[in-house]
Amino acid sequence: MTRHVVSAVLLWALLTAVGEATIFLDWFPTVGSHEAEDFDRIFLILVAMGTPVFAFVIAVLAYAMLNFRSNDREETGATFLGVGTGPRVWVGLTAALAVFVMIFPGMTGLAALNKERSGNGWGEYDAELVVHAIGYQWFWEFEYPESGISVKGAGNELVLPVDTVIRFDVDAADVLHSYWIPAFRMKIDAVPGRTTFFTVKPTTEGNFNDDTAFRVQCAELCGLDHSGMQFPVRVVSQQEFKDWVDSKTVAAKGQ
Amino acid sequence: MHRFNSVFAGLALGLLGFYLGISVAALFRWMFGFEEVWERDLNVTIGYMFGLSGWLMGVGMWGRWGKEWFGLPTTPSQHDGWGRYFTFNTDHKVIGIQYGVTFLIVFFLAGALALLIRAELATNGLQFFDKAQYNSIMSLHGILMVAVAVGTVIGALGNYVVPLMIGAEDMAFPRLNALTYWMVPPAAVMLLTTPFVGGLEAGWTAYPPLSVVTQTGQTFFNLAIITVGLTSILGALNFLVTIVCMRAPGMTWGRLPVFVWSMFVTSWLALLYTQGFATAMLMVTLDRIGGMSFFDASNGGDPLLYEHVFWFYSHPAVYIMVIPGFGIALEVIAHFSRKPFYAYRYAVGAFMGILGLSGVVWAHHMFTSGMPNYLHGPFLIMTEAISVPTGLIFLCALGTIWMGRLWLTAPMLFAMAVIFNFACGGVTGIFLADVPTDIHLHDTYFVVAHFHYTIVGGEIFGLFAGIYYWFPKMTGRMYNERLAKLHFWWMFIGFNVTFMVMHWPGIQGMNRRIADYPEVYQPVNLAVSISAFLLGASFLVFIYNMINSWIRGEVAEANPWHARTLEWQTSSPPPLENFPVLPEVTGHPYDYGLPKPPHATFPQTGGAHAASPAGGGGGGGGGG
Repeated sequence: MTRHVVSAVLLWALLTAVGEATIFLDWFPTVGSHEAEDFDRIFLILVAMGTPVFAFVIAVLAYAMLNFRSNDREETGATFLGVGTGPRVWVGLTAALAVFVMIFPGMTGLAALNKERSGNGWGEYDAELVVHAIGYQWFWEFEYPESGISVKGAGNELVLPVDTVIRFDVDAADVLHSYWIPAFRMKIDAVPGRTTFFTVKPTTEGNFNDDTAFRVQCAELCGLDHSGMQFPVRVVSQQEFKDWVDSKTVAAKGQ
Repeated sequence: MHRFNSVFAGLALGLLGFYLGISVAALFRWMFGFEEVWERDLNVTIGYMFGLSGWLMGVGMWGRWGKEWFGLPTTPSQHDGWGRYFTFNTDHKVIGIQYGVTFLIVFFLAGALALLIRAELATNGLQFFDKAQYNSIMSLHGILMVAVAVGTVIGALGNYVVPLMIGAEDMAFPRLNALTYWMVPPAAVMLLTTPFVGGLEAGWTAYPPLSVVTQTGQTFFNLAIITVGLTSILGALNFLVTIVCMRAPGMTWGRLPVFVWSMFVTSWLALLYTQGFATAMLMVTLDRIGGMSFFDASNGGDPLLYEHVFWFYSHPAVYIMVIPGFGIALEVIAHFSRKPFYAYRYAVGAFMGILGLSGVVWAHHMFTSGMPNYLHGPFLIMTEAISVPTGLIFLCALGTIWMGRLWLTAPMLFAMAVIFNFACGGVTGIFLADVPTDIHLHDTYFVVAHFHYTIVGGEIFGLFAGIYYWFPKMTGRMYNERLAKLHFWWMFIGFNVTFMVMHWPGIQGMNRRIADYPEVYQPVNLAVSISAFLLGASFLVFIYNMINSWIRGEVAEANPWHARTLEWQTSSPPPLENFPVLPEVTGHPYDYGLPKPPHATFPQTGGAHAASPAGGGGGGGGGG
């Protein structure tokens, strides 16, 4: 028995070590925002915590398959029943692990997102720039309320300034959509009849042509052209953003 | 005599009822002065209600049951020949095989749809289908597989072996049992007809407002789901009464085989929650045909209402799917480890814990739905709390395997794979229960990979474990072990490669339910598609093995596995009322190697007790 336990634990340790090495892999798309950094960190914490659990199951199954197989139809195994401390320790350990995961990274991570307790979205409501996003079957329209700019249709881009706290107010005109920018790791559904939001702080300049993570992607099945319901995003420096706003407003006045 | 007891009579009365219903609806519309008497969704709904009644009456409900209401003699069930599988038969063993064959056909159809999806997604751009066809195929794959996952284990294996395992002659309500089966074919027909009436585009989740404004296919879908839901509820009721009231003398709750416990808990879940799905579908139907505007925000409705009602069923539903998988895995592991079940009471506690918690976690499907923020914390906590009872399943499985003498037969391999796959599905579940990571991962291929790991990996592998394990009992013949092992390794590797790789595009930002994707995800999707076809091909081995073994297989003994439980203590297949004499339960089902009495004995005429035909190491052989 002791020999089996020691060997299985060694196998478990080996599998865990191999599994933990995967946290050095390049898992993620481009990190485009402060919130994406949080996501990537929490994701890797969960990988690190989940690996020993999965490795334990594999180790016991694999060890048992290799060492406890029998072709003798009359043979029977050990006769312990699992009524003593074994299961109690297991319950205690798994409950402790579950509570740990609930608190960290669960509730601690959530605290950073649930700044508006009764709101319908992620992060602070206060922002330096507000963009109003409206989902239609099957396109996005964007309004910048401060400057009165409206963006939609082919050839256009959702232009955003870097290092600025931006809140997206999200609405749907017809059916459910979901407003998702993979580079920002942020998503909120667009629901007819209620305005949802999320707030992000972009940290990296980039654009859709170079990196598809910089796109608005509808992530809630919305009918025929759901897969085509994308819109390119361009994150630019704050100065470039000002110039872009000026060019747009001048163009609008000139009409 | 058989006029009203056949599939043909069912079809005839069903069609008659359908057209009658349509006409009645049109007549009423004409009487109330509507210009347009033909409103497709409304007329079809009324027609379906009439048609379903006609079908059920024609197929045998009238002849075997309804006549009694009018004091007429009913016709008895047919008990011989393959023809009995096409009748309104009240024998639970016939019904089990009816369910099994029907759902396996649906499973392979839906699996073929999955391969169409993977063919389309093998490379970016549109190859084989247009977007409407893709959405239809994807939705149909989803809902057919959900029906298979909900119905197959409980309908086929549960029906066949639960009465045997508890020492009963049949289910508590045999005619109700037959009725639940015969509601399945019309629902399947309705779902398979959807491509011809505009198709589906709202997925299996059918979120409004899309499901309200879409084509008539959605109404067919709704009616089918309400019918299948009724099957599920009535079947659950039958199982509960059977397990509570029909256990053989001495079959205490503490001696109940763990598979029966899993069916008991599954039935509670189905009975308590299925109405949620049916209600959601009814509300969508009423929005569509009655202008109720439950979900129309411009008329005071709210789309989020649907999500709550829907997931109130559909989260417990994932446990309706996976608890039977756990039940089979633990049952099979217990017998093939040749040692006592480890921590039996904790396994029952695990099922009870899941039963209790599964009803209070539904909104973790809605973390990005725009529901109020204060709801996220409680649902995060309760969702992660469910890992504790689920963890006990692993304790019992691994504890039973440890230091056993394992027979690595095909059912045992499938059962161990359940534990392996669900460990992976459970770990990835934490990423989705955890709100900060779920925000990005929600509605991506990470979710698709996760739920295929839990449902296919957890339940469908369990289903195959159960099919191989009970095949000798059900057919009286042995399957080909070599082919079964080939099927296992082929399916196991194909499955794990397909779905392990599928997590990756999800993290990288590929959302689900799309006909086309940005070019950057092309290589990984090609890899997934190739291994998906590999996975699909493994079932050809299964189909060949099943058909060939059923016809030509070696004749099986009563107890080829030397198992202690009751279903193995009668002939293969069992006689009409299961046991020549009713058994008396005298011990625990899993006491392999212990000097304990056998699980059951059969009282002989004259009062003497004989040991069961094959106690399988129970009679005091090994000792501890």
